[in-house]
Amino acid sequence: MTKNLTKTAAEGGPEDLGRRRMLTWLSGFGLFGSLMISAVSNFIFIKPRATYGQPNKFAIGKPEDFPSGARMSLDVRRVCIVREGNKVGAISTTCTHLGCIVSVAETGFACPCHGSHYDQDGYVTSGPAPKALAWYQVTLAPNGDLVVDKDNEVEAGTYLKV
Amino acid sequence: MSNPTIVRSQKGWLAFPENVWRSIFRNPLPNSDYGRSSTSFTNFFLHIHPVKVHRHSLKATYTWGLGLMATFLFLILTVTGILLMFYYVPSTTQAYDRMLDLRGTVAFGIFLRNMHRWSAHAMVAVVFLHMCRVFLTGAYKPPREFNWVIGVFLFLVTLFLSFTGYLLPWDQLAFWAITVGTSIAGYAPLVGKEMRFLLLGDSTVGQEALLRFYVLHVAVLPVVLTGLVTIHFWRIRKDGGLARPAEEEEGTTDSSTAQGGPVVAGMTMAVAAGAAGSAAALPKRSFGIQGLVRGPLVKAGSIENRTLFSWPNLFQAELLVFVISVAVILVVSLFFNAPLEEPVNVMHPPNPAKAPWYFLGLQEQVSYSAFWGGIGVPGLEVLLLLLVPYIDRKPVGVGQWFPHERMLANTLFLTFAILNVALVVIGTFFRGANWEFVSPW
Repeated sequence: MTKNLTKTAAEGGPEDLGRRRMLTWLSGFGLFGSLMISAVSNFIFIKPRATYGQPNKFAIGKPEDFPSGARMSLDVRRVCIVREGNKVGAISTTCTHLGCIVSVAETGFACPCHGSHYDQDGYVTSGPAPKALAWYQVTLAPNGDLVVDKDNEVEAGTYLKV
Repeated sequence: MSNPTIVRSQKGWLAFPENVWRSIFRNPLPNSDYGRSSTSFTNFFLHIHPVKVHRHSLKATYTWGLGLMATFLFLILTVTGILLMFYYVPSTTQAYDRMLDLRGTVAFGIFLRNMHRWSAHAMVAVVFLHMCRVFLTGAYKPPREFNWVIGVFLFLVTLFLSFTGYLLPWDQLAFWAITVGTSIAGYAPLVGKEMRFLLLGDSTVGQEALLRFYVLHVAVLPVVLTGLVTIHFWRIRKDGGLARPAEEEEGTTDSSTAQGGPVVAGMTMAVAAGAAGSAAALPKRSFGIQGLVRGPLVKAGSIENRTLFSWPNLFQAELLVFVISVAVILVVSLFFNAPLEEPVNVMHPPNPAKAPWYFLGLQEQVSYSAFWGGIGVPGLEVLLLLLVPYIDRKPVGVGQWFPHERMLANTLFLTFAILNVALVVIGTFFRGANWEFVSPW
């Protein structure tokens, strides 16, 4: 075949199998490549760049809205605001097991879906939950509002002094 | 004219209705064997059937009509689903109200919704039972391995169709079942989180998720299912009809034929070269009108005593299954209303929050370990199902219930099947608030 290729390539005749084979391969690659690119483009298309739901960073009100000792669950935001003295923290109320909303219980948090229990700081005490509830960063906005940033996970027990 | 049964009338305008009728239906109602062949062969809706069908395939106690039943349920689901689309809006603010409208103002609204819901439940059950039938009768063995693989995918698509439909009423059940279900997807290694985000279009179940599930439910998945069903049916024909025991096959008991060698056979109208020979000398290769077909087929020499004409035998049987399926769904829909819970309240999950019944086995497993129960074990089970026809290839015990040769395979399969059914039963009846064990009595 190689012999045939060199010969016919030199002649440039219609029997040029080498060139034909190369063109076949190239068009094959082209077709396959185009398919791959369209598949990837489709994935990029269906992955939203902006979401329309809840923003992950939001203001929750002034520090004085949360009296000392309060454990206030903002269910729509899926976060529990904890105030102890002059410290404010935010604990996620989304169960780490399968995403149900945990409710505030006397001993901490309890999940209604599969019975996971967490203590006051969000550590798992029983049930199938694989890890502790997340803590989020709390900051003070210039206008005096407390702001929770759910994109910013912090170590358990991290409070903001107000 | 090549076809002698087509007689064009020349009587002028009086013959107009007859001419129209004959232009649509190529054959008069058949009263001869030739007519019966021709009717099956020339009618668009009938020609996916063979002209003749093996007696064994017609035995109700062999197939129980389960595959057909699944098809007819899908047909009911398509029709009722399209009708429901006229009134449904995939919006978090309107979806639930539209459910109430179906109940209150839309003519037959509640009835159509009942039919859609009960057919969906029935389809999941029937597809599962069909899979059990095919396994227990060893019908996945060569040359039918790949049709089994397609069947496994059909089962998964059926489940996914049911799952996506579950969110659409936007009631408490819908919201929390999908919250739990998509969280399970999030546990898949590497791609889990990404997959969940793509599926929901957001980090939590909301408007984006509702729209995405709607599109999947009414467009993407039905098209995928229809495509797979088409291939499934086409392969049944090309693999030589339904699986049957080797002893039912005259002159084809040798293993080379059963292995799916390039044996070619014509049906009734085939010009089988050498078919005039004795049964022992039946041809391994012949050419028929239907071209090259793989697998053990009806042979010209065995047609007389083993096969029946599809018209009317097969068509009557199919009609019977159709009538039974529709009748059962109609009666059930008349007496039982599809459940509708409170509208979505993202702050208060119901306790216990339960997925649809066919996922309660999964949810029960998940309550022990999210990864192993939701991804690991079900993933391995599906993988095993897909590999079954490539592991167990010995052509014995095919086409009969509980054959002795298949004791081991059937015992293993039944163990898995019963275990899964038991988990579903536990999840459905024995789990109460906080997923704690309760007695239903």
